[in-house]
Amino acid sequence: MNTMDEGTVPAVRDEVSVASTLGLSRPPRRQLPETLALVMVLGALILLFTLTSPVFFTTNNMLNMLTSIAVIGIMAVPGTILLVAGQVDLSVASAAAMCGMVTATLAQSMALGSAVAIGLAVGLLVGVINGFFVTVVGVNSLIVTLGGLATFFGIGQLIGDGQTVLIRDFGYIGTARPFLNIPMPVIIFGITLIAGFIVLKYTVYGRQVYAIGANPVAARLVGIPSRRVIFVAFILSGLAASVAGLILVSQLGAASPNNARGYELLVVTAIVLGGASLNGGRGTIIGTFLGLMIIQVLSTGLTLLNVQSFWQSIATGILLIIAVSFDRLRERLSPS
Amino acid sequence: MLENSRKEIALSVRGIKKSFGGVEVLHGIDLDATSGRVLALLGENGAGKSTLVKIISGDYEPDSGEISVANQTFSKLTPITAGNLGIRMIYQEINDAGTLSVAENIFLGRLISKKGFVQWRQMRREAQRILNDLEVDIDPNALMSSLRVGERQVIEIARALSDKAAILVLDEPTAALSGDEVDTLFEFIDRLRDKGTAMIYITHRLDELRRVADDVVVLRDGNLALSSSDARNIDRSILIEAMVGSKIDEFGRPKMNLIPANAEPLIELRDAASAGSFEDANLVILPGEVVALYGKVGSGISEVAEAAFGVQKITAGELFINGGPPARSPRNAIGLGVGLLPADRKREGAFLGLSSGMNLVAPFWSGVLGGTFWANGKKERTSFEKWRTALRIRVSESGADKAISFLSGGNQQKVLLARWLNAGSKVLVLLEPTRGVDVGARQEIYAVIRQLADEGVGILISTSDYEEVVQVADRAVVMSAGKITSNLDYHEVSVVALTDASGG
Repeated sequence: MNTMDEGTVPAVRDEVSVASTLGLSRPPRRQLPETLALVMVLGALILLFTLTSPVFFTTNNMLNMLTSIAVIGIMAVPGTILLVAGQVDLSVASAAAMCGMVTATLAQSMALGSAVAIGLAVGLLVGVINGFFVTVVGVNSLIVTLGGLATFFGIGQLIGDGQTVLIRDFGYIGTARPFLNIPMPVIIFGITLIAGFIVLKYTVYGRQVYAIGANPVAARLVGIPSRRVIFVAFILSGLAASVAGLILVSQLGAASPNNARGYELLVVTAIVLGGASLNGGRGTIIGTFLGLMIIQVLSTGLTLLNVQSFWQSIATGILLIIAVSFDRLRERLSPS
Repeated sequence: MLENSRKEIALSVRGIKKSFGGVEVLHGIDLDATSGRVLALLGENGAGKSTLVKIISGDYEPDSGEISVANQTFSKLTPITAGNLGIRMIYQEINDAGTLSVAENIFLGRLISKKGFVQWRQMRREAQRILNDLEVDIDPNALMSSLRVGERQVIEIARALSDKAAILVLDEPTAALSGDEVDTLFEFIDRLRDKGTAMIYITHRLDELRRVADDVVVLRDGNLALSSSDARNIDRSILIEAMVGSKIDEFGRPKMNLIPANAEPLIELRDAASAGSFEDANLVILPGEVVALYGKVGSGISEVAEAAFGVQKITAGELFINGGPPARSPRNAIGLGVGLLPADRKREGAFLGLSSGMNLVAPFWSGVLGGTFWANGKKERTSFEKWRTALRIRVSESGADKAISFLSGGNQQKVLLARWLNAGSKVLVLLEPTRGVDVGARQEIYAVIRQLADEGVGILISTSDYEEVVQVADRAVVMSAGKITSNLDYHEVSVVALTDASGG
């Protein structure tokens, strides 16, 4: 082993370093934006559906698609931060439903503002609980949030005795169009996206997140407070879940424990489709946005083509596997 | 005479040559392993031990020469033919399945089965028989993970022997073992010797030789430096000279640094111990000096060094950093002005997917060096540019933004070193700073270390490479089996002194 290293590796290394000094060797990875493939897939899908359906490429439909994806998208932003740090939150959808139930139920007996505030506080609490078990107790985040998924769903049912709870005068954040005819959920989604983008790309916190995901041991040895960073990410995720839950309640005019059911998997699908690695260290908000859009364009486009809804699910699943397979292949072919 | 006829040559190697990429690393080696005897194979890192052994096990094909086993002569072996001839390898790292039973581990990969069903009873019986044969008192039903490391090693050997090993190659089997576990293993080797197994025992611990070996072969730079059939009585100094040879005078010593008499220690250990790792450690690092902590893998050198960075906990005695209390965590240590270059660059040091610039400024993300909310991409680039020039990090123009994984090992190591220079650390703890680094970059790293010392930084280098100690350290502290065995001052540091004090 040793002898071989000494015999061959230096020579090879010298070649590489000389070549790269002269600008001869062009590393294939990271030179092209990783999102290029996603942009192309999205563009191809949009083109396909524009050609096959006259109503697809209209402002109205675009806004509709953004509205449809907003609830999932809001949860996917902190979800991306978590996944980059090597963590996952599967409890978001249940937490969203639970927060909705809390707010709708309380709104029957107290001021709407207070009910909303408590709903958001419950989301925060969810984040604290998840963060506590992951960072302080040290349980794997998949397990913690899988438990949370079941627990919060159950609590949501308990609150309304399994029934849907109606809420009055709460249409604003779900249905209003205060600015340029853009629906409120899309505005909130946009703000969340931009905030997430800035946090991950331009703040020290974002750097910490990437470092923890890329190499947890090294992160500890350069003094990064990993537990605190992950704790904060879970709190952001809990908060986003409550916001998403309230938007759903507002859109429907009612809270149901079944609201958002299964959305956690769509969230993870979009993030992974967007190029994040389940091992952490990789992923971007732009990628996640593209992932979300691909899922939505596929779904809307197929609906407009009158394809049975079952096929939409199949198409999304296959797309995910193909996308990630390509990614693995690309990684294996490029030098590390 | 009668004894000689019984103890026949089990494996014979003649004139083995091997090159990698045009560089010959074995220049014609002859070696005989005899049934019922232990042949110790000695040599420093890079002497060719591993290459030779891999040729014997069939992993490498020799360029010339021949290998004879059981009256058959081969120009090369494959892993399969070597296996069929009864050649078995035992590696340093234990590769067992901890969650399975001892019996299952002995038959791992070839469980006794009938029509797809495992024959548990028969397998346990067989395992018990093998263990009895070897006079090992271990329950075949016990969980592997419940055994001690030495016992696991024994099971590993039992696995190799259970399918008729004639020649057993042990690659530094004691590297991970504690004192009495080593005794267990040696007693076991004695029993195998009595049963007539031929053994090749790779080590660089001279003190083991007397206990376990019959014959000895020393390799140096791919040549046979010494061969003797009287391993127990051979003079220690002869062995050391055979191992290090003319290298003794090859390396220049650094210029001696004058340390002011009133210098306050940056790191000080007083009778410090860390349970299971080291004990009675006394050590002082002053500003402006480079102290090497030298010893073999497992001697406790890395644990002592890591204690200064708050990674390893002190369980007895005292540790002072800058005259004050020690670091409780790496975070804490960074705040105290200590920087650590870990031994395993890929696993503990670099963020491979992140850019070189980010890797360089990473300590500032800890928040203990004056944290900011916004990350400063421009500073990442300018810092990298600064240290790229200073440390001659070889990378193309867009270097700072490119993932560090594109850099060669030596250049990655320079970035990780620059990390702490950039953070302005006053104390540097460097673990194996030039492991896996090519020769040129190695000298450049040494130059940087010396320059830092000139500027008043205190540097503790934990290394298992004596050349490194001679070339870069002002003085050396030598450890063996968790204890400091020797303190060598500037004039005493030499290859021979280091080799001798570390137990060979």
